[in-house]
Amino acid sequence: MAGVILRDVVKTYGPLYAVNHVSIDIKDGEFVALVGPSGCGKTTTLNLVAGLIPMSGGDIFIGDKLVNDLDPKDRDIAMVFQNYALYPNKTVFKNLAFPLQMRKLNREETERKVLAAAKVLDITHLLERRPRELSGGQQQRVALGRALVRDPRAFLMDEPLSNLDAKLRVQMRSEIKRFHQDLSATVIYVTHDQLEAVTMADKMAVMSGGVLQQYDSPAEVFGHPRNTFVAGFVGSPAMSLIPLDVTTENGAAVLRGPQGWTLRLDPENARKAQRSSTPKVILGARHSTLTLHKSAAPGAVPGKVYTVEPTGDVTFVQVYLGDHIVIVSLEPNVAVRADEPVWIEFDQARLHLFDGETQQALTLG
Amino acid sequence: MTSIPVERPVTRKPVDWWRWAGRLFLLLMLLFTVLPMLWMVITSLKTQFAAFQYPPQWWPAAPTLDNYVRLLLPTSPTGQEFLQYMWNSIFVSSCSTILGVVVAVPAAYAFSRFRFPGRQFLFFAVLLRNMFPAVIFLMPLFLLMRWLGLVNNLASLILTYLTFGLPLSIWLLKGFYDNIPIQLEQAARIDGATRFKAFLLIVMPLSSPGIIATAIYSFILAWNEYVFALTLLNSKEKLTLPIGLQHFFTEYATDWPGLMAASFIMSVPVVVMFLILQKYFVRALTEGAVKH
Repeated sequence: MAGVILRDVVKTYGPLYAVNHVSIDIKDGEFVALVGPSGCGKTTTLNLVAGLIPMSGGDIFIGDKLVNDLDPKDRDIAMVFQNYALYPNKTVFKNLAFPLQMRKLNREETERKVLAAAKVLDITHLLERRPRELSGGQQQRVALGRALVRDPRAFLMDEPLSNLDAKLRVQMRSEIKRFHQDLSATVIYVTHDQLEAVTMADKMAVMSGGVLQQYDSPAEVFGHPRNTFVAGFVGSPAMSLIPLDVTTENGAAVLRGPQGWTLRLDPENARKAQRSSTPKVILGARHSTLTLHKSAAPGAVPGKVYTVEPTGDVTFVQVYLGDHIVIVSLEPNVAVRADEPVWIEFDQARLHLFDGETQQALTLG
Repeated sequence: MTSIPVERPVTRKPVDWWRWAGRLFLLLMLLFTVLPMLWMVITSLKTQFAAFQYPPQWWPAAPTLDNYVRLLLPTSPTGQEFLQYMWNSIFVSSCSTILGVVVAVPAAYAFSRFRFPGRQFLFFAVLLRNMFPAVIFLMPLFLLMRWLGLVNNLASLILTYLTFGLPLSIWLLKGFYDNIPIQLEQAARIDGATRFKAFLLIVMPLSSPGIIATAIYSFILAWNEYVFALTLLNSKEKLTLPIGLQHFFTEYATDWPGLMAASFIMSVPVVVMFLILQKYFVRALTEGAVKH
């Protein structure tokens, strides 16, 4: 296993930047998720690491070797594709043996390794079958087996779970995580599902429009999103974001909504709000940090219930504050009706403030 | 078995007239194609005398294989001539088939996988030949072959048939390669194969139904071609079967049974090839390669 370093990696298609100066430092044995909406450049980035497409600029190191000009076969990596890409005319055994044969391993050694990999993944009974005779979950295991049959320096996975049904996906998710821990493998994992990224990865790289937005541990990304994109992308339901004006009232900083309601800020948040490049900020709050009151409460902002979505353990309530919706989670035993007037209280210690112009998080640092 | 009377509500299925019309149409088509061939076989079994009787003998009174023996016996002069034509045809058809596949496979793969300047233009330029009737090319090709010194040489036919077969071969194979997911090659390249090896070991086997279909198409095209063979060849020992048969027709104008026997022998390779290789047309090898 080895670390992978991307330094200022660029991929352009004509005037279009598919990957725009991305730098990521992946340590040996780390599980890194590349996450973002479709078209954000995450799969392109992965293909650049694999060497399947030529780079337009920058450097990629695997271990301490510069691999910019190496063919995929010489990079010593393994890849699991979204559609598995099993060789349809070969049996499972031959699928697993193919990478070893290409490396000119002798027959006994090949057989020993294939059987070992098959045993780990519990596919020994499938070895003589062909890919089309397997279920989706089995195909997925074979694809995984083909990756781990030799000891590559890094595993690349391109949305390996997106073709599975919901139940199998959760199961395979823990299996891949377990497999990463057992092998202490370096994994680069592409997904559009932020939940997958948060649950599996040691670090996540959030991308949008070919640009790396934030590269941090999931807790850090969740707790301190660097800009409004990351804030809105990570977490489900998404963080509520409300653009507001910053004004002062009796010498204290206050956020004012277009409909006239105001929110007093504590001194720390007030100082953050004053760092904004314009007198506009975006207020961000996760559903769990909001409190819903059925009657006016000091510091709470008036609103009106839009929808109520009970999920079983929590009930999500969408509330209109002026013309922006915030999502609040409630205990399932709290009864609220649509169109009911409510008051929302913000947790000053856990709210987020973003610059209204640059969309970047406002910090004191 | 004893039948148990079951009370069933009598529901009359409406007659599907379209379906029956379709069947009738297919039956007519079948008669249209099979009857001439049947008559060919029947005639080839007759004696020369029987072939000229009127009203015709629907079934030969004294069926004989003499015509076939005469054609296929290397010791008889007719046999020598016929077998020479046959060998020429096999040689020309095989060569243009093999060359066609050798050229069409990489060309189609390149059109399918690579983006290069002029790709679209070249791809449609390939079709240009098919937009004109073949006869238009008769004189230009003849002049070209004369300039190359290939007139009355089987190589001229091989070249000609190659250019005629390639457009469709390339288009057909490109379709096959388009349907093979690119991830299969990428997987192979990551697994340690070079680009060429990935093509050879993974993509080629998957496209074999396409390659076989293309090969059959090229072979039949060359096997049946008449006009260019007539123009580009003139010495008797170079002729291919279609022209050779015409020689029969003129030299032995009255020998209908002989001509029919020769026609029958000529159609055998095509039919046999179809029978052996038809399963490749239908075998969907890529099934299960990826999840759609």
